[in-house]
Amino acid sequence: MKELTAEDASLLELVDRLLNKGVVLAGEATISVAGIDLIYLGLNVVLSAVETIDKAQQRRAS
Amino acid sequence: MTLIAHAIVAAPPASLSAEGLRGRPLAWSGAATGLGVWSTEWPPEMKLEGPDAMEHHRLVERICAAQPCLPVRFGTSFASVEAARASLDKRAEALHAALARVGGKSEVALTLLWRNPAPAEPIVPAAGPGRRYMEDRRAELMGREAQRARAESLVDRLIAELAIERPLVWHETCTSASVAVSLAVLVPTERALEQKAELTRIASGFRDVISVVNGPWPPYTFARTE
Repeated sequence: MKELTAEDASLLELVDRLLNKGVVLAGEATISVAGIDLIYLGLNVVLSAVETIDKAQQRRAS
Repeated sequence: MTLIAHAIVAAPPASLSAEGLRGRPLAWSGAATGLGVWSTEWPPEMKLEGPDAMEHHRLVERICAAQPCLPVRFGTSFASVEAARASLDKRAEALHAALARVGGKSEVALTLLWRNPAPAEPIVPAAGPGRRYMEDRRAELMGREAQRARAESLVDRLIAELAIERPLVWHETCTSASVAVSLAVLVPTERALEQKAELTRIASGFRDVISVVNGPWPPYTFARTE
């Protein structure tokens, strides 16, 4: 696994908050983000979500 | 038209620019219980993408700067204004309580990364494969336990030196091979930069970890109502 840099850690902390924290209005709302698996278990697993975001950005840029 | 929710606030809404995600209209939907939600009007066929998450964050920051707010998890959508209102009314008591707890506050985040991986124990050269496997396994487990104990001691020291109440601190330890501690502190927004400097000062004294301090951010970690 790639070693985590300080920059990675900052991005992961923020992405973890956006996708995994905040008010959940369960039952009335849906979580739907194209290409991003929102079901993950913590900071280590959110790496896969960041990779997906990177890929989505590359797709949009190309 | 669906709504992509950003933040819950108490009425009346602050005066904000009308621009939401990707320049689409930002709307406030007020419910009967004195709460409302700031959302972007969003065509149902349009998919959210990664960069929208960062824009959501900037919108939540903007809303929280204008009035006390509860950040909503990114990707939360409502089929209509009526659905948004009904959702708020259904949980009004819990949402009002959460708003009273975190409104006007920010969180400062600290990540501690291990400076060096745990050293591997030497393997007995003459040992057979079974013994070597067991020795490796034992060393790995002991290393993990030692790291966890060290991470918890770092958290205790941070809390003690910050002189902050436990309910205002959230933390996890050893969430991956690199991360020793992930911690968030809820602080009054006007004192957030001061607390960030204090957190940076304390964490810089830990020799076995690299500290990364972020924020102040909207109080995502402390906005849960369940």
